Amino acid sequence: MTKNTLQLTEKIKHLVKARLAVLPPDSLISIGSYGSFTKTELISHVEKDDAIGRVITEIEMEYLRSLKQGIFYA
Amino acid sequence: MLKLVITRPSYETTTKYLFAWNQKVIKTAKIKSVETTDLSKQYATKRNLTDALFQSKPDLVFLNGHGAPDMIAGQDNEILIKAGINEDILKGKHVHALSCETGKILGPAAVSIGAKSYIGYKEPFVFIASKGKAAKPLSDKRASLFLDPAIEVSLSLLNGDSPTASYKNSQKATLKTIRALAASGKKDSFLLRYLFWNLKHQVCLLQTK
Repeated sequence: MTKNTLQLTEKIKHLVKARLAVLPPDSLISIGSYGSFTKTELISHVEKDDAIGRVITEIEMEYLRSLKQGIFYA
Repeated sequence: MLKLVITRPSYETTTKYLFAWNQKVIKTAKIKSVETTDLSKQYATKRNLTDALFQSKPDLVFLNGHGAPDMIAGQDNEILIKAGINEDILKGKHVHALSCETGKILGPAAVSIGAKSYIGYKEPFVFIASKGKAAKPLSDKRASLFLDPAIEVSLSLLNGDSPTASYKNSQKATLKTIRALAASGKKDSFLLRYLFWNLKHQVCLLQTK
């Protein structure tokens, strides 16, 4: 991994963790067969960059990309 | 008369929610006089499903539970159907899988071997629940924003709608929720990202032969 890619990955992680941090504390996120998680648990999975962390990162990034494409104006 | 076989495992949070929401489906099936084989909890096994599909010869098969790209599970994660092993038991059926990822491999395999249609998800199905509501899932308004649009497929198929129309009804119901949440500007707008995810990854596969 190049230095730039590493920096981008860290920036994405930071962004996703920040977005997860604002979830209400009483929410439980069910991600299919992976199970149900609190926001604190999800932040930890993103930090570890494991399978659950990567799914939640993809959800966040796909949504942000869609916003950029103007999903609310389609 | 329409015939339905439905699996409803219930053994941890996610399956308990799916089980509860599918009570609405069972109720609708009764109202519509659909002959229903309800394989719930410990009855959601591979043997029971295979027997029910062979004996009842249903038009509709609704599968609820955990899944992976090539398989769907029943009670306590027992594999019910796996691509390359027994997807042929879905031949001639319209299938709705409220499960993760089966639209990737299992769905296409089932349709290629003769299932009339397969509606499911090609990525994990995500929903947000509220802590403390697991004992009474149907009282969880947050979860209803995800699960009501999801079961719209089953309700539409029971209503006699085509698979394509049923898929579109589910997509419309999700979009309606998304628009209402986006317009409200309320704190629940954090749910939008997960609703979009389900919307984007729900698939409707049709028999083309």
